[in-house]
Amino acid sequence: MIEFEFLSAKNIEEAINYMHNYKLSKLLAGGTDLLVDIHKESPRLGEFSYVIDISNIEELRFIKEYEDIVEIGPLTTHTMLIESPIINKYFPLLAIAAKTIGSPQIRNRGTIGGNISNASPAADLVPPLMVLNAELELKSMDDKRFVPIEEFIVGPYKTSKKDDELITSIRIPKLDESYKGNFQKIGRRQALNIARLNLALIAKIDEANKKIEDIRIVPGSATPYPLRFKNLEREIEGKTWNQLDLDYLSQKIGEEMISITGERWSTPYKKPALGGILKKAMNELLNF
Amino acid sequence: MKNIVVTLFVNGKKEVLEVTSKERLLDTLRDQLNLKSVKEGCDVGECGACTVILNGQAVNSCLVLTAQIDGYEVYTTESLENKGNLHPLQQAFIDYHAIQCGFCTTGMLMSAKALLDKNSNPSREDIKTAIEGNLCRCTGYEQIIQAIESVSKKVKG
Ligand SMILES: Cc1cc2nc3c(=O)[nH]c(=O)nc-3n(C[C@H](O)[C@H](O)[C@H](O)COP(=O)(O)OP(=O)(O)OC[C@H]3O[C@@H](n4cnc5c(N)ncnc54)[C@H](O)[C@@H]3O)c2cc1C
Ligand code: FES
Ligand code: FES
Repeated sequence: MIEFEFLSAKNIEEAINYMHNYKLSKLLAGGTDLLVDIHKESPRLGEFSYVIDISNIEELRFIKEYEDIVEIGPLTTHTMLIESPIINKYFPLLAIAAKTIGSPQIRNRGTIGGNISNASPAADLVPPLMVLNAELELKSMDDKRFVPIEEFIVGPYKTSKKDDELITSIRIPKLDESYKGNFQKIGRRQALNIARLNLALIAKIDEANKKIEDIRIVPGSATPYPLRFKNLEREIEGKTWNQLDLDYLSQKIGEEMISITGERWSTPYKKPALGGILKKAMNELLNF
Repeated sequence: MKNIVVTLFVNGKKEVLEVTSKERLLDTLRDQLNLKSVKEGCDVGECGACTVILNGQAVNSCLVLTAQIDGYEVYTTESLENKGNLHPLQQAFIDYHAIQCGFCTTGMLMSAKALLDKNSNPSREDIKTAIEGNLCRCTGYEQIIQAIESVSKKVKG
C-alpha cells in the first residue's frame, strides 16, 4: 500500500516552498496519470512520502494572448483548450489533439502540464507542442528557466525537470499565416489493446508556387519518446506539390522510425500504420 | 497520518467531513455518505461507473482525492429524483430499455445530465461524445442514446 501525506498549495509560492522543504514529494494536478499510477502501484513512481496538490492554484490556469506568443497555464484542462477561442484561432491542431484525449471526464480533469510532465510516449499534446516549438517556464525556490519542450522530454516518462521545479507556463510562438497544421491519431481505447499512434505536423506553404518551405513532423508512440523526424522533414522541404511522392514518404517515415527503435514486436503494425497517417495528414494539409 | 477536514456541498447539502490523505471522492461518497449510486468499477478512469458532477463537470470520482476539493459542489444520481418523481432522464432510460444490468446506469445518467445542463439541444454526435467515457456491457448503447435524445427533444419542444 502506498502511503503519503497530503499537502495543499494555495499559490505558486506555497507550492515551490513545499517542493523545496519536502524532498520526497509528487505534484498532483488533475490526477488522471498520478492517481492511476498510485492505484496500480506503478514502479515508475519511485519513492515518495508527500503529495503536493496544486489543482486549486488559479494563477496556473489561464490562456493569454500576447503580440508574439500565446501563454498557457499548466493547469489548463483539455476541455479548456478545446473550448478556447485563442487556441482554436492560432493552434487548431492543439485543440484537435486535446479532443482525442480519453473521455469528457478525463478531459475535464486532465491538464496540459500533467500531460507534458508525465512524458508518456503516447501523450497526445506533446507532438503538437513540439512542432509548435513550445517552451516551458520552470520555477524553483531560487531559479527560473525556460526550456524548449524538445529538450524537456528526455526519455520515456523522463524529463529534465529537477525535483524542486514547477512548470509555471507553456509559451507558444505565434505562426505566420502561411503555416498550416494537422494532427492524426489512431486507436482510442486502451482496452482495445492496439498500439496507439499519433502524428503532428506543421508546414509553411507557399500557395503561389505550390511549395513547402518549412515542415516539422513529430509522431507519437512511434519512438520511445516523441521527437522530430528530421530526415523526413528534409525529404519534403523545398518541394512543390507535384514533386511529392506520398508512397515514397510513407515508406521513409517507417524507415526513420526503425532507425531509432530497431525492429520490435509492434513494427509490422506500426510501420504501415505510421505511413498511412502521414499520407492522410499530408493530403489534408494540402487539400489534395 | 493526520486527517484532513473538508467541506463539500453534496446534492445541495453541506457536509463537513474528515478524510485521509488518499481517500478518493468515490470512497467518501459511498462509505461516508452512503451514496451507493456511485459505482466502483475499474478504479482507473476507464469505465465511467463512478461518474459524478463536480462543480458542473462530469468527472471520474475514482480519480479525485476528496482532500483536493474542499468547498466544491458534487452531484450524484441521488439528486435526480424530486419528491418521488423520477427525473426525465431516469424515466427515459426506463422507457427506452436503456437499463439492463444497471451497473453503468448511474454513471451514464450523470454524463447525460452534465451534457444537457450545458447543451439542451445536443446532436447525436454530441451525445455519443458525452458518453464515450462510460462503458456499458449490456445494451449496445443505442437505447441509451435514444433515451438521452428523447429528453433533449422534449426540452426543445
Ligand atoms: C482513462 C484514461 C484515458 C486517457 N487517455 C489519454 C489520451 O488519450 N491521451 C493522452 O495524452 N493522455 C491520456 N490519458 C492520460 C492523462 O489524462 C493525461 O496525460 C493528462 O493530461 C495528465 O494531466 P493531469 O493533470 O491529470 O496529471 P497528474 O496525474 O496530476 O500529473 C501527472 C504528472 O505530471 C506532474 N505535474 C503535473 N502538473 C505539473 C506542473 N505544473 N509542473 C510540474 N509537474 C507537474 C505530476 O507530478 C505527475 O508526475 C488518459 C488517462 C486515463 C486515466
Ligand atoms: S471506477 Fe472510476 S472510471 Fe471506472
Ligand atoms: S446496463 Fe449493464 S453495463 Fe450497462
